[in-house]
Amino acid sequence: MHHHQVLAMQQCNRPLQLSQLISCTSYSSQNVQMIHTSLCASRPALNASLRTQQCQVPRISHQRRRVSNSRTGAEMEELEDVDLSQLDEEDLDVLFEEYGEVVLTDGKPRPVASDVDDDAETLTFAIALAEAANEVKGAEIQVLFVKPLIYWARYFVLATAFSKPQVDAIGRRMRDMAEERFDHSPRGDTKPNSWTLLDFGDVVVHIFLPKERAYYNLEEFYGNATRISLPFENRVVQ
Amino acid sequence: MIQTQTYLNVADNSGARKLMCIRVLGASNRKYAHIGDVIIAVVKEAIPNMPLKKSEVVRAVVVRTCKELKRKNGTSVQFDDNAARVVINQEGNPKGTRVFGPVARELRESDFTKIVSLAPEVL
Repeated sequence: MHHHQVLAMQQCNRPLQLSQLISCTSYSSQNVQMIHTSLCASRPALNASLRTQQCQVPRISHQRRRVSNSRTGAEMEELEDVDLSQLDEEDLDVLFEEYGEVVLTDGKPRPVASDVDDDAETLTFAIALAEAANEVKGAEIQVLFVKPLIYWARYFVLATAFSKPQVDAIGRRMRDMAEERFDHSPRGDTKPNSWTLLDFGDVVVHIFLPKERAYYNLEEFYGNATRISLPFENRVVQ
Repeated sequence: MIQTQTYLNVADNSGARKLMCIRVLGASNRKYAHIGDVIIAVVKEAIPNMPLKKSEVVRAVVVRTCKELKRKNGTSVQFDDNAARVVINQEGNPKGTRVFGPVARELRESDFTKIVSLAPEVL
């Protein structure tokens, strides 16, 4: 629990008052499901040990309230004075099956291999971007695999350029290559900047000038991310 | 819903501690700023021996609000404090090197992915 408490409010019929941050486990079931009771937030793990997410459900109030299930109309009673944090995975699964409501499903179960395939495609994209930077003589190019740390991106590509025209050239090269081969267009800085960011969705590219690279030090911040080895030799900043 | 005279906490290590909003950018006579909007603020409290001093006028991005943020999927997110992140120069690069506390992912849509990439937690 961090000291910034977030109140997640749901617009639903249940009068549950949630007073603590809820972070949900990603259930290992194959279907993509959204749990109706709360917003799933994944924490970026800066510690290597924090790989799996713990489900911390707060204590529900004493009162016995009758809550109507909106879909079936059947009434069900609230759990009375149960310390849910003591329950383990199987009990929580049982509770979920009994009281949880599936709001959105994928339809068919997703095969396990599809995640790996998605990653492989994104990885080729990231390496292609790194190669584009290398062709324009970018230095200290690194590709970081950040998927285990953050949920909003899979790979980061970091590069150093020595002047703004070079930043512009790298950016243009990457954009053209992405359009041609992968049909992705980026959001982000259009004008060259001392820290230029190109957001391709799953892959985020950061192009720095040497001073800014040292100043922001993203490698230290994402120190737990695995570095992907690149098929070319890296130039060093002198 | 940040407006003129609102005090905000500073969510980065730029040296300021508290800011007071003096103008909401975006349109003339705009009343409120939400998460992802840029404001002009004056530093009301600062940490000693840092580059940012008290009563300096800076631009900042709002990263957390006490007013809940509604999303299209029906959920809403509400924070415990109002906080802003200090942004330097017309280029839009952040002045501090690290962000403190969680930020909302709407910043990514407002093209502040730099702040999101420095944040410890994105909700």
